[in-house]
Amino acid sequence: MPMYKAPLEDINFVLNDVLNAQSLTQLPGFEDATPDLIQSVLEEAAKLCENVLQPINRSGHEEGCHYENGVVRTPKGFKEAYDLYKEGGWQGMAFDPEYGGQGLPHTIGFVLEELMCSSNMAFAMYPGLTHGAMNAIRAHASDELKAQYLPKMVSSEWSGTMCLTEPHCGTDLGLMKTKAVPSDDGSYRITGTKIFISAGEHDLTSNIIHLVLAKLPDGPPGIKGVSLFLVPKFLPNENNEPGVRNGVMCGSIEHKMGIMANATCVMNFDDAKGWLVGEPHKGMRAMFTMMNAARLGVGMQGLGVASVAYQNAVVYAKDRLQGRALSGTKAPDKAADPIIVHPDVRKNLMQGKAFIEGARALGYWVGMMIDLVEKHPDPVARQEADDFVALLTPVIKAYFTDMGYEIATNSQQMYGGHGYIREWGMEQFVRDARIAMIYEGANGIQALDLVGRKMPQNLGRLLRRFFHPMQAELEQSQEDPTLLEFVIPVAKAFGKLQQATAVVAQKGMARPDEAGAASTDYLRIFGLVSVGWMWLKMVKVAQAKLAEGADGKEAFYDAKIKTARFFVEKMLPEVDFRFKSLMSGAKSMMDLDVEQF
Amino acid sequence: MTIKKAAVIGSGVMGSGIAAHIANAGIPVYLLDIVPQAVKDNGGDRSVVAKTAIDKMLKTDPAPFMHKKAASLVTPGNIEDDLEKLADVDWIVEAVLENPKVKHDLYQKLEAVRKDGSIVSSNTSTIPLNILLEGQSERFATDFCITHFFNPPRYMRLLEVVKGPKTRQDAFDTVSAFCDRVLGKGVVECKDTPGFIANRIGTYFMAVAVNEAIDGGLTVEEADAITGRPMGIPKTGTFGLIDLVGLDLMPLISKSLLSTLPADDDYRRIHRDNALANKMIADGYTGRKGKGGFYRQTKAADGRRVKEAIDLKTGVYRTSEKATLASASAKNLKALVETADAGGAYAWRVLSQALSYAADLVPQIAEQITAVDEAMRLGYNWKSGPFELIDQLGTGWFAEKLAAEGKAVPHMVKVAAGRPFYKVEGSKLLFLGTDGNYAEVKRPDGVLLLTDIKRGSKPVAKNGSASLWDIGDGVLCLEFTSKMNALDQDIMGMIRKAMGIIGDGKSGAYKALVIHNEAQNFSVGANLGLALFAINIGLWPQIEATIAEGQNTYKALKYAPFPTVAAPSGMALGGGCEILLHSSAVQAHAETYSGLVEVGVGVLPGWGGCKEMVIRHLANKRRPGGPMPALSQAFEAISTAKVAKSAFEARDMLILRPTDGITFNKDRLLADAKAKALELAANYTPPQEPEIRLPGPTAAAAFSMAVDGFAQQGKATPHDVVVSKAIGFVLSGGNTDITQVMTEDDLLTLEREGFLALTKTNGTINRIEHMLETGKPLRN
Repeated sequence: MPMYKAPLEDINFVLNDVLNAQSLTQLPGFEDATPDLIQSVLEEAAKLCENVLQPINRSGHEEGCHYENGVVRTPKGFKEAYDLYKEGGWQGMAFDPEYGGQGLPHTIGFVLEELMCSSNMAFAMYPGLTHGAMNAIRAHASDELKAQYLPKMVSSEWSGTMCLTEPHCGTDLGLMKTKAVPSDDGSYRITGTKIFISAGEHDLTSNIIHLVLAKLPDGPPGIKGVSLFLVPKFLPNENNEPGVRNGVMCGSIEHKMGIMANATCVMNFDDAKGWLVGEPHKGMRAMFTMMNAARLGVGMQGLGVASVAYQNAVVYAKDRLQGRALSGTKAPDKAADPIIVHPDVRKNLMQGKAFIEGARALGYWVGMMIDLVEKHPDPVARQEADDFVALLTPVIKAYFTDMGYEIATNSQQMYGGHGYIREWGMEQFVRDARIAMIYEGANGIQALDLVGRKMPQNLGRLLRRFFHPMQAELEQSQEDPTLLEFVIPVAKAFGKLQQATAVVAQKGMARPDEAGAASTDYLRIFGLVSVGWMWLKMVKVAQAKLAEGADGKEAFYDAKIKTARFFVEKMLPEVDFRFKSLMSGAKSMMDLDVEQF
Repeated sequence: MTIKKAAVIGSGVMGSGIAAHIANAGIPVYLLDIVPQAVKDNGGDRSVVAKTAIDKMLKTDPAPFMHKKAASLVTPGNIEDDLEKLADVDWIVEAVLENPKVKHDLYQKLEAVRKDGSIVSSNTSTIPLNILLEGQSERFATDFCITHFFNPPRYMRLLEVVKGPKTRQDAFDTVSAFCDRVLGKGVVECKDTPGFIANRIGTYFMAVAVNEAIDGGLTVEEADAITGRPMGIPKTGTFGLIDLVGLDLMPLISKSLLSTLPADDDYRRIHRDNALANKMIADGYTGRKGKGGFYRQTKAADGRRVKEAIDLKTGVYRTSEKATLASASAKNLKALVETADAGGAYAWRVLSQALSYAADLVPQIAEQITAVDEAMRLGYNWKSGPFELIDQLGTGWFAEKLAAEGKAVPHMVKVAAGRPFYKVEGSKLLFLGTDGNYAEVKRPDGVLLLTDIKRGSKPVAKNGSASLWDIGDGVLCLEFTSKMNALDQDIMGMIRKAMGIIGDGKSGAYKALVIHNEAQNFSVGANLGLALFAINIGLWPQIEATIAEGQNTYKALKYAPFPTVAAPSGMALGGGCEILLHSSAVQAHAETYSGLVEVGVGVLPGWGGCKEMVIRHLANKRRPGGPMPALSQAFEAISTAKVAKSAFEARDMLILRPTDGITFNKDRLLADAKAKALELAANYTPPQEPEIRLPGPTAAAAFSMAVDGFAQQGKATPHDVVVSKAIGFVLSGGNTDITQVMTEDDLLTLEREGFLALTKTNGTINRIEHMLETGKPLRN
């Protein structure tokens, strides 16, 4: 059976020493979010994840969800786990106190997301979708809707979904067929079919609040005519308790490769009553509030699954005795050496460690930026933080989930044939990790978002929020000779990213196919350089800590420096390959006639 | 006869504006008006009316004078004491009240004093020539014509001229040629019919556009979104244009037209008394000159400026909203009228009536269609004239659609019988004559248009931002073709390519280069978007390379073995001004607005602009002694982004040298520039690089103190201080002293370093970003 231990030591290092999360207490509303408080919250979260969620991860995977006559049952233990989650008040941890939340920083929400996805990704998706729906309602719905629905969702009594996809439209939502017709009482009647609706139906909560995209009769054609509606499974009665059943039914659930314990539903809306969220025809704007947060959340799923898969790979590599080290016996008292002595095994493990720790720092940093967007008193600082988040969102979604899958499968590889046996649990990580590359905008779409939307926006203003501070840090770090072995490769990779950016922007203006062809390579370069920057930051902290006496954590800081070295020497060179591929342009990609395939 | 001295009678807005423009051209002119009754009764300056008009013009913006000194060429006077001064005047322009009696009385007085062979013209816009001539002598009738200027006379290019049956052809030709060559007007001959060409068609168009907007339930913004960009009649749209010319003028023009138009004229059918407009005028909402018009600017509670538009139904102002009609983004005129929405329907209703009206008026109001199109382009700023618009729809299609709706097909469309009004044959542009045959569109002597050259030839070289054209006699013309004529690497590349093709200017096919284009603006400077993107990703080496490339290219041009003549018109700012500074000579359109405005976006002139201004000011023989006054003038001009508002002002600022030429008629600019290039090429030696001595830190300290002083007085913003000090450092020569000889390259290095350092500041980045997003400078 797989194990999971929340990596609190590393999390604290990132929050307190690298990102200086204490600074959050200076923001209005976060005065109480001291490191001590955060520490105790995280310890509780670790307990929930290690003791409640992780033990039902594999059983949930094996059992899956059950569907019968429109009713969905989650696997054994999920309801009990959900009740504990509810009692702990986790749903409202980082949410607005006005609606019953605890108002802790989003940064901590990002940590919780990672831990929950490590321990049980399928479970984490139920509250995750509720969270997305809460954000959209808070940002766009009327005060009445907010007052009526948010407290119930914050308390975990009710859950939420987002209903976008239809049988014939996924990426291109302009093709949508679901209709909304206004009623005399100010509500709307929604009719249509939505598919791939995660958590669309289940037995964890007494009500489910669907946020549904649909078209109004008088709307403009295409994506500009789409509006967002709130459609509850049960219409709340006068006491705001679930009352009459609305015209929403789960038609079936999908049989999937992974996230077996999460119900992926076909939802039929038949003259269902709903209310407009935001302005008519501005549904995509409201939906993007959910989607942007959701995309970052999916990125954290990639990190979370990578982290648990890596932990189990380490356990096995230390434990599994097979053959002898190439350089001579390392465990003479045993029948064979543990496989961790082998360079290729090390490579896989180091790759996992270097990605996970670097990505963790980057992910939490973006989480901190979201706190700045919401709370910083200076509008300029808010705008800068918002730009940074917008720019990094596609990078985190795509790079983290690509790597999440790669590390899950590399970790499975450590198990040899046992990795392919279900009981060992490694195959679940591979299966669960795979969906993160696909949903919330497939990774190819993320790359297009980066080069097509984020890059040219305001003539590169978003890029400035990344390039200028990183350039400044590189210049400043160059003055320290002990850092040179890290600064030089990171600076070179940064230079490649600059050149790639200029080339993609220039080519993309004249020939969109060129930007499209470059996009995936470009996003990967962006991801590698971003994580390279994080490693530079972490090396600097580790060196400083060692210099001032590491307080018994010498091995931890020493490992940081050595892992950073691995990253710049073994992983960062991928930038060169990607750069070369990018520079070769679109031609060889597009040259064949369709008939030649 | 040539016109060496002129007089304008009547110093109202038009009369004084005409006098100012005659003075702009260097011609002495009398400006006479009445002696007011109060002065007659109580004494005082008997020429006070004309004097007041001149004083007022010196304060008017946009300025009627191209240079303050031009005002000294206007001699004020009055029609009681100064009439005999008209005895030595060659041309007298009458611009008094639009009242035949007043005019007739004046003409009698003029007849008594004016010399034989002198010419009298009336600036009437409404009174037919035959009425003006009633009761006048034979001598007067032979020397008389109408010259109808548009307001403001300096800026509006159209001049309508009308001759009577007795007008001497040579007198008429003299005035026409003078207005064309000396005053720079686009002279269009009209027949003696009400409203001549432009007002007749323009008024009809505006009336029909307003009426149909009201009837069709369109908002002001929607109507302007249709008549504006897709139709181009003009860019401001109809309501925007009415706001600009003044709502109160509309009923006046309408009234005068109605008093003279034929009984069956279609304007009588569509004309309405517009209750909303009447109320607006009564309440002082006369347009931009009043409290506002169909649009107005107000301040919201938080101090933000809000653009509002009037609701055509209720007459209440509301926040202006961008029109969202699909038809407003139609690809072309035909697609516009075929778009099935309110905008498409509106477009057709307006065009079907207005274009039919115009097409029925030839040959009634003008000999040929070309005059009508030219008049509407130059007088009302239409992007295309009515016959060009019908061609865009197709004459056959237009006729069929009218017929299908049971409407009459206008005369000239019948003549066309499905053929286009204009067509190109080989290199020739042909138009359809009233006789149904095609004839070539002839340009006046001395007019050379790039448009014509391009129609008949292939470019010698071409890239994404510039082209090279052979304009004959061994002269190449470099044309910018980039968006807004923004300067970029491709343009630099094309300059170097031109230098390669021309070589030494002796052994090859070409001997000189002209830099010219026919866009509204010569160039407003470097492509800021590209620069900002490079700045945003911190690609400093690329920015430095771009600066160095521009510096090297411009310097190479300056020292090339062949002459380069820049021929700008409209705005020549920043990098566009720097190219003038590096040309061997400039032949400027009088309406050239030039300056080094880089501080507006937080940088300094980095393509040799600082360097050239230093050299020119140091070499200026008229400056007081010592380098400091010279450098101070350069510093003031650059650090305040001063713009010369005419070619004459550019001379004051040393952007133009005394030897550089000025052309009044834009259509004659290229020919003049080419002539200048050939003249220079005859015996050309490139300039010698000067030795430059600059004071260094002492001067920089003086500039720095001055800037701090401005900041204390609140005249300079914090980032103005940063940018100005960087400019001061470059202009003073950096860390040099007066004993050291500096080269041009030394100054270029200082420019480059200063430029690069500024682009790394947030203040500069914010300025560039703001300029690109709003089109306005940021005062940070």
